[in-house]
Amino acid sequence: MDTFLLALVIGAMFSAQYALIALGFTLVFGILGVVNFAHGSMYMLGGYVAYWSVSTLGLPYPIAVAIAVLFTGLLGALIEILLVHRIVEDHLSTLILTLGVSLVIVTGVSLIFGHEAPQFTFPIAGSIPLGPAYMPLDRLIVMIVSGVAILAVYLLIFRSAFGRAVRALSIDQSIARTYGMNPRVLFAVTMALSSGLAALAGALVTPILSLSPHAGESVLLTAFVVVILGGLGSIIGATWAAVITGMIQSFAGIYVGGSLGTLLLFVLVIAVLTVRPSGLFGAPARGA
Amino acid sequence: MKKRETTKLFAPILGAILALGGSAVHACEVKVGVVGPFSGGAAQWGVAMKSGAELAAAEFNAAGGIPTDKGDCKIRLVEIDTQYSAQGAAAAANSLANEGVKVVLGPVGSPEVSGIKPVAARHRMLLMVNSYAKDAIGPKWPLAFHVSPGASGWALPIVRKAKERYGMKNVTIIAPNDQGGTDIAPVVAEAYTAEGIKTKEEYFQRGTADFTALVTRVLASKPDAIDLVSSPTVESGTLAKQLRVAGFRGPIGKLGGPGTEEIARIVGGYEALGDYYYFEPIVVDEEALKMRDAYKELTGKDSPEHTFFYLWGAASRLVFQAMKEAQSAQDSEAIAEKLRALDVKDPNIGEGLWIGQSFFGINQELSLPFGMGFVHNGQVEPLIKMPAAVDK
Repeated sequence: MDTFLLALVIGAMFSAQYALIALGFTLVFGILGVVNFAHGSMYMLGGYVAYWSVSTLGLPYPIAVAIAVLFTGLLGALIEILLVHRIVEDHLSTLILTLGVSLVIVTGVSLIFGHEAPQFTFPIAGSIPLGPAYMPLDRLIVMIVSGVAILAVYLLIFRSAFGRAVRALSIDQSIARTYGMNPRVLFAVTMALSSGLAALAGALVTPILSLSPHAGESVLLTAFVVVILGGLGSIIGATWAAVITGMIQSFAGIYVGGSLGTLLLFVLVIAVLTVRPSGLFGAPARGA
Repeated sequence: MKKRETTKLFAPILGAILALGGSAVHACEVKVGVVGPFSGGAAQWGVAMKSGAELAAAEFNAAGGIPTDKGDCKIRLVEIDTQYSAQGAAAAANSLANEGVKVVLGPVGSPEVSGIKPVAARHRMLLMVNSYAKDAIGPKWPLAFHVSPGASGWALPIVRKAKERYGMKNVTIIAPNDQGGTDIAPVVAEAYTAEGIKTKEEYFQRGTADFTALVTRVLASKPDAIDLVSSPTVESGTLAKQLRVAGFRGPIGKLGGPGTEEIARIVGGYEALGDYYYFEPIVVDEEALKMRDAYKELTGKDSPEHTFFYLWGAASRLVFQAMKEAQSAQDSEAIAEKLRALDVKDPNIGEGLWIGQSFFGINQELSLPFGMGFVHNGQVEPLIKMPAAVDK
């Protein structure tokens, strides 16, 4: 029973982390129709900007996280305006383009900060006992931030004028334009939001785990698994898929060992895709 | 006047042609492949290896280069990134074969070595590799050399010293679930068992970023010590960090690839790392540090801090010396013959020998003095220099 509770707590920690990472990824696909291969590098960049703000500028960690979100969000908007927007309707080209952007970011960070991991730790240590389990405070903060981010993104997309506009653009761009909606601005804001969310995850999670120029690679894979399982483009789907993924990794990791946990997850993804090719919450694939 | 202008016009052109022609006569060069992970999680191993090869090449070039039937030729390194993958290493070997390269330094990891060996054998390339795989070298691969002994050579003396210090009775070994982990973990486990220590092996998917579940599983069996063996540096650092956060206070071992400084940085400093014992392929003493100065002087760049720089510098010197004695960069069998017969004596690292017969069935494993390190209560102790491993 103790181990079960422990697995449940760890699963919740994983789920929050995965949801935060997958949210921006699914948002860009849902609105722009772009499979953003640069999402993992935005996570990594968020970590490095926060690290640089703390270690070089000497700023308090919460401000460093805010700077990371703003900087990376702005970069995301610029990438959308200058590069992605020109070819946003060509899915294959945007895929290759974002892969190229990712390589440029990773190489740039390696050149500036070096290949090796820097010393970057979460400023708050300690944990809260939960019976036989414990909840580290840093993970608790990630869970709270993740919950707030999911709620905020949900309200923004489904309960605001901005959300209505971008959803209209994602359904039919030409009709949405006739109603005065400007895809140039709205897509850039969406990309900024997505990049900012990735950076938020990076700035919060890399000090708990580790920061290196390639830290975004496994994150990208996780984001893929979560959004494919939940249904590409579905915010609710990504959230539930993050919970499922987190729980499987936790329970399998504790009860059957690390290696088999990953295997079980991929078996589940294959099974779901066989039965429901559009994922659990099956948002239909769309074009911008 | 006209004649003078014509002369003015053509003199520089003529000069340039002569200079080009002249340089063409002396531009004889021999290519040597340098193959390793120059990007990705294992990049620091590859970058350090490449820098060691650059040092040795610069030294030999400064001394006149490699004598061949075309005269004295400069060594030119052809560097290819494998991204620590078998397919990357195989592609690198094919690319080098197209360039006519017959001598290759690297790669540095088991997956890459598995990928490169069949292609290199097909093209009769001499390889100097690093891998903890059980079949890293062997009679099947007569042109493959091993840059330093695997765990079979150094694990036992290190385990002995760690046991003297910590008196552990049971150890859990954590390693990646591919050949880079599954080949070394049982060899290290054997060394612990030989010292009467109970061992348990746990494996993780390479590329795992969060080890919370694995750490929980491992700590449930209450080990006295945990050894991260050949887990890559970033993963080792994350594991050590999460072990400490989860409350593990026992010693953490690293009987595999080096990278202590980076691991300590990830954990949050040596104090947070606590008790730690590790294998170092080379002891960087005053003599070894001269290689750093030489690298700076010859290349104008700072050398990496990683100990692979020194190890690969020494190994590359031996390979280039064998090429020099064979007077060839193309006859890989003649170079291999010379390499086997060379006395292992590096001016900076010390004396060693060729071993490998008992474990691999072939005497092509370069054994140099190695080191063992302790971090005790967060304090880094001076490395203990251990004599070069000998065949059992």
